[in-house]
Amino acid sequence: MSTVLDVRDLTVRFDLPRPSMFAARPQLEAVRAVSFTLEEGRALGLVGESGSGKTTTAMAAIRLTEAAGGQVLFDGDDLLKLSAEQMRLRRRDVGLIFQDPYSSLNPRARVVDIVREPLDLMDIGTMDERMGRVRELFTLVGLREDQLSLFPHQFSGGQRQRISIARALTTNPKLLVCDEPVSALDVAIQAQILNLLARLKQELGLSYLFISHDLGVVRHVCDDVAVMYLGQIVEQAPVATLFDAPRHPYTQALLAAAPSLKRRKSQGYTRAMQIKGDPPSPINPPKGCAFAARCPKSRQICTEQRPTLQKSDNSRVACFFPA
Amino acid sequence: MSALLEIEDLNVTFNTRYGAVTALDSVSLHVNAGETLGVVGESGCGKSITALSVMGLIPSPPGRIAGGSIRLNGEELTTASPARMRAIRGAEAAMIFQEPMTSLNPVFTVGAQIAEAIMLHQKVGADQAMRAAVALLDRVGIPSPDARARDYPHQLSGGMRQRVMIAMAVSCRPKMLIADEPTTALDVTVQAQIFDLLNEIQRDFGAAIVLITHDMGAIAEMADRVAVMYAGRVIEGATADDVLDHPQHPYARGLIDCIPNIAKGDAALREIPGVVPPLHLLGAGCAFAARCAHANNRCHTEKPKLAAHGHHPAACHAVQEGRI
Repeated sequence: MSTVLDVRDLTVRFDLPRPSMFAARPQLEAVRAVSFTLEEGRALGLVGESGSGKTTTAMAAIRLTEAAGGQVLFDGDDLLKLSAEQMRLRRRDVGLIFQDPYSSLNPRARVVDIVREPLDLMDIGTMDERMGRVRELFTLVGLREDQLSLFPHQFSGGQRQRISIARALTTNPKLLVCDEPVSALDVAIQAQILNLLARLKQELGLSYLFISHDLGVVRHVCDDVAVMYLGQIVEQAPVATLFDAPRHPYTQALLAAAPSLKRRKSQGYTRAMQIKGDPPSPINPPKGCAFAARCPKSRQICTEQRPTLQKSDNSRVACFFPA
Repeated sequence: MSALLEIEDLNVTFNTRYGAVTALDSVSLHVNAGETLGVVGESGCGKSITALSVMGLIPSPPGRIAGGSIRLNGEELTTASPARMRAIRGAEAAMIFQEPMTSLNPVFTVGAQIAEAIMLHQKVGADQAMRAAVALLDRVGIPSPDARARDYPHQLSGGMRQRVMIAMAVSCRPKMLIADEPTTALDVTVQAQIFDLLNEIQRDFGAAIVLITHDMGAIAEMADRVAVMYAGRVIEGATADDVLDHPQHPYARGLIDCIPNIAKGDAALREIPGVVPPLHLLGAGCAFAARCAHANNRCHTEKPKLAAHGHHPAACHAVQEGRI
């Protein structure tokens, strides 16, 4: 098994408005020294709440957001060091599926052109070969050939997400970055897309970097999970380990908060672990552990020092008092 | 015990470019005092329209209540005057909307907005209403409520805004609270806080809650009884345990089986093939027939009625005929 993506100390900063005309621009650190690896044929889930930096991490890893530091090794090359043209050529190895299938497809282009466009841009094959590839992809994702010349608005949300998936697969990528691919869909449609993604992963040997806030979805799709909080990974483990024996208090709270059919009002269910408040602002992050202010286990050291990820077996956790 | 809210054979139509489209088709529901009814279904199934009908907020035109009755505490709402509806809204029945940012007024402080609701329904002065607003903000778990009452909605986080909406909704101690997807815009830890708060409010104020959601997990956690809706009809209704453990209607079964579970991440999810048909294309038969594995000729020609057969009521010929 080889490593597809090896991200080391990835850091992303965004500029904030100047407080006054001559003052230096303050910066916000959206991703703080994040490291992870993604093995071939596996799916790594990035979970966390809004603002935790999961999307920014993934976008910086494939250079759609500029990183302030770190390394991204993809097939041995550091993507962050490639020239613009070299990077453009590498893009064929990375596919991307966005959250909103309504705004991520050009409303004025026919879907055949949308799916073929990556081949046109990369100048791959003859026109006949490209069209053949598009037909092949349409069948692969469960669309019909007679739908090729329709426009996006003539499709339902689930079908549009299939078009997005076809477009992402056009150039035969190794890595698919899925940014909340089912959160805009109804549950019945969501199941169709999740099953499709699971099938494609197996048939094509794809690796997924899968961003989601829905823990049920992550448990279903992913092999490994990294939980992010305020720009850092706080816990990473194989999916079964993380769900069955979460070690970081935030992971525990996240799992306690997720609705489940097993938790019944009729049986007097009350939440085992309830955390208060909202995540802190990344503009002025706390000195110690970012979760300390909401953590039921927090002690003095938590507010003074920042815990680092400690490896044990095949999982990592950043907490002074892990379970 | 007679129900607090009784909806009977409610029909709501909308004039569209396809002609009059039936958004609600003979919807019958009841909510007992102090309980939580979960209304669940996919987008477009009519769950929000049901809520808006109760509140007298169907945009008209194009919408129109074409038949049926809605009784709150025995009082008929479909024929109530606009003035009477204004008196009922907020005081006897209140609603919490999906997106707190768009349902709060951006140019008034949240304290003033809560105080306004109080002054509309109770004979109190501005100072007293403001004090009551601050007390309510405190009650819904907003820290330093005095200062927050002077904040504008944009200064608060999504979870805080939803708490403000809840404070406003319970300001006149309504007996009936309708929460329309109150947590869809929120993160999961904040969603848990809002759910816990709603349960607390229910315990303290004795209000009945109608929780509209697409999330079966939320139903399990919050609801005493459930109504499952599909294409403008209630297709199954029973206690939450009955529906979750023994779903009858093929759609309800599919809806429960297609949820990825955090407790186990195994095999492929069961899919419901196809999509919800557009309401203007519904034929004479069951709206789910085209997606249903158990559909026969009768299903395509005759609408099933919500009737008990075996376990609990479901609107399905196959269930009623004992075929599944």
